[in-house]
Amino acid sequence: MRYLMMAKGGDQPDERLYAEMARFIEETTAAGILLATGGLEPRATHVVSAGDEITVTDGPFTEAKEAVAGFALVEVRSKEEAIELARRFRRIVGDGESIIQRVFEP
Amino acid sequence: MDVHRTLDAVWKLESAKIVAALTRMVHDVGLAEELAQEALVSALEQWTESGVPGNPAAWLTAVAKRRAVDHIRRSRLRDRTHEHLARELDRPPGDERDEQDEQGDILRLMFLACHPILEPPARVALTLKLLGGLTNAEIARAFLVAEPVVARRIADAKRVLADRRVPFALPEPAELAGRLSSVLEVIYLIFNEGYSATAGDDLLRPGLCLEALRLGRMLAELAPREAEVHGLVALMEIQASRTAARTGPSGEPVQLHEQNRGRWDRLLIRRGFTSMLRAREAGGTPGPYLLQAAIAVCHAQARTAEETDWKQIATLYEALARLLPTPVVQLNRAVALGMAYGPRAGLELADSLAADPALRDYHLLPSVRGDLLLRLGRRREARLEFERAASLTRNAAERAFLRRRAGEIADGPAGGATLGEAVRGFLGRDDLDPQTIRSYGQTLRRLCRGLGEELPLGEVTAERVSRVFAAAWGTAAARTWNRHRSAVRSFGAWAGLGDLAAGLERRAAARTEAVAVSPGLLDALSGVSPRERVMWRLLHDSAAPVTAVLALNVEDLDLERRQARVGKVRVRWSAETGRLLAALVAGRRRGPLFLSDRRPAPARRTAQADLCAETGRRRLSYERAEYLFKQATKPLDPAGRGYTLRQLRPRP
Repeated sequence: MRYLMMAKGGDQPDERLYAEMARFIEETTAAGILLATGGLEPRATHVVSAGDEITVTDGPFTEAKEAVAGFALVEVRSKEEAIELARRFRRIVGDGESIIQRVFEP
Repeated sequence: MDVHRTLDAVWKLESAKIVAALTRMVHDVGLAEELAQEALVSALEQWTESGVPGNPAAWLTAVAKRRAVDHIRRSRLRDRTHEHLARELDRPPGDERDEQDEQGDILRLMFLACHPILEPPARVALTLKLLGGLTNAEIARAFLVAEPVVARRIADAKRVLADRRVPFALPEPAELAGRLSSVLEVIYLIFNEGYSATAGDDLLRPGLCLEALRLGRMLAELAPREAEVHGLVALMEIQASRTAARTGPSGEPVQLHEQNRGRWDRLLIRRGFTSMLRAREAGGTPGPYLLQAAIAVCHAQARTAEETDWKQIATLYEALARLLPTPVVQLNRAVALGMAYGPRAGLELADSLAADPALRDYHLLPSVRGDLLLRLGRRREARLEFERAASLTRNAAERAFLRRRAGEIADGPAGGATLGEAVRGFLGRDDLDPQTIRSYGQTLRRLCRGLGEELPLGEVTAERVSRVFAAAWGTAAARTWNRHRSAVRSFGAWAGLGDLAAGLERRAAARTEAVAVSPGLLDALSGVSPRERVMWRLLHDSAAPVTAVLALNVEDLDLERRQARVGKVRVRWSAETGRLLAALVAGRRRGPLFLSDRRPAPARRTAQADLCAETGRRRLSYERAEYLFKQATKPLDPAGRGYTLRQLRPRP
């Protein structure tokens, strides 16, 4: 089963954090768990539909700690495995929040 | 949080690392696994009591290693080893050498679990247990055997490894190739058991596919220079990408050429392609896994089944058959030949395999022969082959599928049938919706007129069909041509006549269909009735479907707010259109908005809702509206054909 992990907040990245992140990504890739990952630009574009109207706006810009800063798509055997991976990730990036959601496959 | 489940998750993520590290310490994989199990037990006790530690993986690893050290102390090993181990334990985690050792140890463990002195079932069980962290019960469930069978298999395997003193080491260069292929074989066995379950009711056991993919991806990182490892990973990724598409709603198999390619997992396909690139970078002569992966790539690259490069696939199978001259590979080659060079070529090879004792009870041989015979029009033989295949397979879903194929032939026309009879049989099926039957009917009735209903079915050839098509639809629009083409293909396959559209190229949609027509352009046309002007403008203003606009009734119109509702569709219009519309309605209060010019002929029955009570006229039909538009716009179309109503819809 697949889970999408979205990460909010975290410490200001420095060299140490980058190195640890890189290692975590390598490890989980090597274990065949991490399928795709990436960081997200903080500026988000909102496309809102209401009835026949569709409005496109840049922003509103959320506070840095509220914005989703990165995502990882993992393939695991259970929700618990996904939680364990999220724990490891949070230990690396520091204070903040990760959201885990099951992805139903195509 | 459930401690049990958390522990299980941590164990499954860490077991390969932990067991590998312990095996290095105690030089006995059986003992290492027991010590790891002991650590699991104490983890469960302690975590239940005082909660899951902050870093459960590190906790578990440390406790397991401590168990190993205790064991070594107890068994009074030499002092030197003690010191060495004490140092190992004191080293901080994350040390670079430590990590490399760790990776090397996992690779050693893989080679050990897949050692050729073990029987394949034992290798599979041991690999899942030691590297996947599965329990005996989980392995037993996956392979549909009793748990004690698995337990015995694993215990026996551990004993054999200990008795024969198999070292915990990487193979010598001379035996590397053989040992590696044993590891690959085990992984692919696990994958295949998940992918095409040989027994039982389900066709797929996705858990096993995932385990195999994980093991393969892991191995690809551990042995990155081995092209065959990447080849196997590519093969599994691409095969797994079709998981969702290869079974139908009730679990029946869907053959590759009938699969909905939109349901293939593009992410896995892309990963497969990446693995192929890594395999090419590793270099060397392509081995069997790389060749099979290349075949899978051919399928993945074809956007539709018709675009499949069967000639390339046949060539790849030929190369594969040289490396792996097994009858199953030959059988697959027969399928490829049949697709690339016609059923006769495929049948020739398939027939030569019939005497092979290895295929005597293999259900795919009669199933493939059945396909080829059917395409050659040898229906009776084909049916017998499908029936034989059904009685040979052990998988319930597959059996039902093969029975159905046999049954379909029995329902079809008999040997001496004529084209007309076959067409009636085909259109009389009850598994098609009325619209499809109507559309197929148009094509096939025209075909009957062109060839004669009395033409014996055996004489309906792709060449004859091509001639009818050229005469009937040679100048038709691409969409029309392709619709007739697919109808005749479907009929050909049903009647066992092979690909009747073999001589008919699929046509790319003509460019004119992409042109949007604006009403401003139309205003220049003279002699257009107010009815047309309003209808065209409505279609353009609202972008609503043509059927919706034609279905409008006067009472639906809200002239003030310039909108109307037909079913779920809302139609809106501009002020200019509104003025023309008010003039068109001209006092009528109900009934169809757009009326035909004539009253219906007395013989023609028209639904009450489509009649105007005031004028007695019928609602304007789509066909008539389309015809009038085409005629009117001919002078505007550079191609001289005129446009279709749909082109009035503004492009986004």
